[in-house]
Amino acid sequence: MSLSPAAGPVPAAIGSGGTAGPPRDRRGAGHSPGRLAWLRLRADRTALASGAALVLFLLVALAAPLIELTYGIGPRDQFQDRLDGFGLPLGRAGGVSGEHFFGLEPRLGRDIFIRLVYGLRTSLFVALAAAVLTSVIGVVLGTLAGYLGGWLDAVVTWITDLTLALPFLVVALVLPPMLTLRFYGQRDTVPAAFGVGVLIVIFAVFGWTGTARLIRGQVIALREREFVAAARASGAGPWHMLFRELLPNLRAPILVSFSLTVPQFVTGEAALSFIGVGLTEETPSFGRMIYQSLEYLQTDPAFVLFPGVVIFALVLAVNLFGDALRDALDPKSAG
Amino acid sequence: MRQRAAVAVGGAFVLVSALSACSANTGGEPQVDTGRQATGVIATDPRDSAGPAPEVAGARRGGTFTILRETPISHLDPQRTYSFAGLMTVPLIARTLTTWKDDGEGNLRLVGDLAETPGRDVDDDCKVWEFRVRDGVRFEDGRPVTAREIGYGIARSFDPDLAGGPTYLQEWLVDTPQYDTAWDFQANRTSLPPGLTTPDDRTLRFEFARPRCDLPFAVSLPTTAPLPSDRDTGVDLGNAPFSSGPYKVTRYRAGVEIVMERNEHWDATTDPVRHQYPDRFVWSFGPTPDAAANRVIADNGADQSALSWDYVPASLIARVAGDAGLRARTILSPTPSANHLVINNARVTDLRVRQALNHAIDREGLVKVLGGRHVAVPMTTLMPPATIGHRTYDAYPAGPDGDPDKARELLGGQRPELVLGAADSSLEQQVATQLKGNLERAGFTITIRNIPDDAKLDEIKKSGNPWDLYLGSWAADWPSGASILPVLYDGRTIRAQGNSNHAYFNDPAINAEFDRILTLPPTEQSRQWAELDERIMEEHAPVVPLYVDVAYLVHGAKAGGIFVSSVFGSPALVDAHVKP
Repeated sequence: MSLSPAAGPVPAAIGSGGTAGPPRDRRGAGHSPGRLAWLRLRADRTALASGAALVLFLLVALAAPLIELTYGIGPRDQFQDRLDGFGLPLGRAGGVSGEHFFGLEPRLGRDIFIRLVYGLRTSLFVALAAAVLTSVIGVVLGTLAGYLGGWLDAVVTWITDLTLALPFLVVALVLPPMLTLRFYGQRDTVPAAFGVGVLIVIFAVFGWTGTARLIRGQVIALREREFVAAARASGAGPWHMLFRELLPNLRAPILVSFSLTVPQFVTGEAALSFIGVGLTEETPSFGRMIYQSLEYLQTDPAFVLFPGVVIFALVLAVNLFGDALRDALDPKSAG
Repeated sequence: MRQRAAVAVGGAFVLVSALSACSANTGGEPQVDTGRQATGVIATDPRDSAGPAPEVAGARRGGTFTILRETPISHLDPQRTYSFAGLMTVPLIARTLTTWKDDGEGNLRLVGDLAETPGRDVDDDCKVWEFRVRDGVRFEDGRPVTAREIGYGIARSFDPDLAGGPTYLQEWLVDTPQYDTAWDFQANRTSLPPGLTTPDDRTLRFEFARPRCDLPFAVSLPTTAPLPSDRDTGVDLGNAPFSSGPYKVTRYRAGVEIVMERNEHWDATTDPVRHQYPDRFVWSFGPTPDAAANRVIADNGADQSALSWDYVPASLIARVAGDAGLRARTILSPTPSANHLVINNARVTDLRVRQALNHAIDREGLVKVLGGRHVAVPMTTLMPPATIGHRTYDAYPAGPDGDPDKARELLGGQRPELVLGAADSSLEQQVATQLKGNLERAGFTITIRNIPDDAKLDEIKKSGNPWDLYLGSWAADWPSGASILPVLYDGRTIRAQGNSNHAYFNDPAINAEFDRILTLPPTEQSRQWAELDERIMEEHAPVVPLYVDVAYLVHGAKAGGIFVSSVFGSPALVDAHVKP
């Protein structure tokens, strides 16, 4: 009879086969898999660096109003007197100065730094919220389908296939204007939160299939393992089976798929704003900024540089951290 | 390894971008000739209409002149042509009853083209007009052009299958906007529409129920291009038009390319404006305005004798304007295309609110949002300065940056909540954001509601549309107040949809003025239109005049003879030539 791998202390040797693993714990005491993963993660420099960057990004996003207060400039303030006759910022590198850290946008003359701070907030909020929703839907449907099987499995698989067949772009193009009209008519103010919410829902509706399929496969594999059979033989109810036996063993794939969907949604939001269907002009957003900046590659490269570098760093950090997390949780899969 | 590569790529990206950003921008005001006034007359002396057109200095025959444009010209059927690109191309392949002698600087003279003079008002009441057709004009197969072929051209414009072109002549002849039901072309292919007769082969006679004093202008549109009835291929004519001009279409690849080569039957001595310098014209479709401008600037191979048809994109202007070496290859000219912040007068009924809107707008900031003075110049009148007889005035002087205090004073403490409908295109979103900033500064509460870009025009043309404000533009078909003010502000024309009166402005006194001025001879009209323009703005402020578009074009080093049409604001091709 085997123990559930997550059920209790196991000898360290079992889990540390991967290359990214930490040096063998000299004290010889047994560690839980969670503790082992943490040890591996802590020893991984990439993980630490990308993790630190992520924390920084999160802090900046959370503290956006505070930063605005200290910086003294809001995301909608215009400084057109500091633009030349062509609408381009005066001064060096797109108007970078002690007052405007990253310079000014051409045309409207808004401050790039504070718009990036708020854009970060929008992007991270959309991406994290969508990733959480995706994971929850994916895990619930995947586990139920995998564990219960039968007609439920057939239905979930069918819905998954249906969702995969839906054209994402067409829905993303058509749905927001329809919903806006439905909820706000033709003249009411549409709060920025509504656009953000619709975007999150669209991402969640289209994003859960990957997680659901992954989890369903894992659950089917686990279902036949001895510890599950043992638990079932001991008379465990479905609740216990799901939450005590199965889910603890699915932590790794769930976390990894979560960490990979976050950057996907960051770039997804940018891409949608890029083709003009994401958020409105008034909501600061990476995608819209990058989209507008691209034309200025020749005349105001600094405008391309700052948002470009920030979104590049953000996506890179999330991706690297996701990789490191996977390596730590599941060393056998490390590449 | 993967991480190091990522860091290296990131580092390189940062470095390259930072290096390219390293020169300081110290400003410097670009100059556009904005003060010029359009002058225009109808040439009564037949000698003005006589050919040949004066030679263009430095022009020689030969070479291929290429025109780069992103979107194709839908077709070249003269009776169906209404796009700027089409209106500028059709003169090369078709002649019209009258045409404009244009120096590209606003000095316009309407001359006879197929006709010997720009028409004769037989009874001096603008109801009966006669045109005497010039001798010696031939089609591309050598047949002479007579009044019959011109009449047939006008007749086929009644065909609902051939819709899309201007509709002035059709509506005037049968005196109703539903011209295609009033006279059925398909059932009467061998006859002419009511009111149009050809007393002999060289005379074309128009008889109208009401005075139509603008007829000489209206017949300069390609509706009057001649066509022998045996050459009418219906909807297919657009792919292979039958030429009466200096060039004929020799290759037509839909959406890709149009090649036009010399028409040997065209006689320069019969033509007051056109030339036949290049061996061929090639329209090449596909490159974006960005790509086309960069290609022409690079000036390699065939692009040396190429024109980028689209204006230089706003983001490239600073580079093009800042390069002294390009100065000889750029053309900068205001156009007659006027842009307004249209107020929906059916909703915003309080005059003081409309006046406050006029005081609040910061036109200088708006021009910066659009890309500077190479894209737009501020305007405070209803009619653009390129209109004949235009007079500059500012009914609500607010300085270049707007006068929010004056606007607040007019509002007298109220805070109107207005909805600004804006197309969801990138540029219009920015313009809307800018205007919202201006107006909220002056005490308004503005909600921006997005309208899908391709549906916006249809939506604002519906009376009873839900928005209070929207951006509108108007480019007249000829530079006379008659094709601007009554079209845009005559309240009696308002219907359920398809309105040109976007402002839904309706005032009986102003409507009566329209009727009065329209019956005056064209030469007397221009001054009166300018006065009425000012009166409408002062008494009613139905819109906020914003800016006129500026044409900024770049061409290759060997492309010559290009000027911006004072009538349409697009590049004119009649003088185009390839330099050696």
